[in-house]
Amino acid sequence: MKFQKKRASTKQEIPTASMPDIVFMLLLFFMVSTTLREVDVMVQFKLPEAKAIEKIENKRLISYIWVGNDGRIQLNDNIVQIKDIQKIMYKKRQELPNVIVSLRIDKNAQMGIVTDIQQELRKADARRINYSARLKE
Amino acid sequence: MVKIKKRKLKEAEIPTSSMADIAFLLLLFFLVATVIDVDTGIGLTLPEYVPPSEQKFAPISKDRMAALLINENGDVLLNKKQISIPQIKENLIARIKSKIDLPKKKKLIVSVKTDRRTNYNIYIQALDQVKGAYFEVRKEYALQHWGKKVSELDKTQMHELRDKIPIIISIAEPEVVKK
Repeated sequence: MKFQKKRASTKQEIPTASMPDIVFMLLLFFMVSTTLREVDVMVQFKLPEAKAIEKIENKRLISYIWVGNDGRIQLNDNIVQIKDIQKIMYKKRQELPNVIVSLRIDKNAQMGIVTDIQQELRKADARRINYSARLKE
Repeated sequence: MVKIKKRKLKEAEIPTSSMADIAFLLLLFFLVATVIDVDTGIGLTLPEYVPPSEQKFAPISKDRMAALLINENGDVLLNKKQISIPQIKENLIARIKSKIDLPKKKKLIVSVKTDRRTNYNIYIQALDQVKGAYFEVRKEYALQHWGKKVSELDKTQMHELRDKIPIIISIAEPEVVKK
């Protein structure tokens, strides 16, 4: 006697018709929740960690200064010398009066360079700063 | 009569099988080209720049001042007493609390001064402690007076809180380096 194999009568396929919808939804989520990357960071740095940190609400106001572990300084999109900071930041401040300068400084940097940058920022009258730090667990 | 066969019309369709691929491609592009990370950090407002020749010595009573000195080895002096970094918070909390009800001109000023060779990380740790002390006091004040968290306060309450416990952190004028 021949045995008939039991088979489910339903189609064995995953419905893919709604896949584009799902992916578009994901896409929309990413488009809304992120901002475009504007600059390439050319210095290597590791941020310090801290507990009492706050978020910067408005991303468009931020101007970045990086200080790498080799002591190079990058302002927005190119490597600069300390004495150039004042001029560039002064221009920036005229365009954007309440600019926040986010200092992304390597945690092994020395305070000397930080103080120099701060002095330049004070001369340029860009006095709202933010020491970028990651949340300590 | 010859029956003319009606040509069957094909159903008009746009091929959608590749739509998912296109969407995935777009998604990938956005994943690569955008940044998600939020900017977090310790906010501060620098003092106005005064050229060294015009700097005046403003006397501040010792009672108001919390001078924080950090040297190149990472040793911390708070009002001339050596303490470790995690102790800064407790020390300051008591002092900030004692000045909540004083007028604006008598609130605590925390002055941070570092050596040129001080490690940046240590400086941030110390600043973190100072900020942490202020946040702690604010939190307690908000809980006592309104029974709310600081983030839930409305505008007038926030204003009062800022008035009662202002965060005054002064970055000391760097000493002129001899070259």
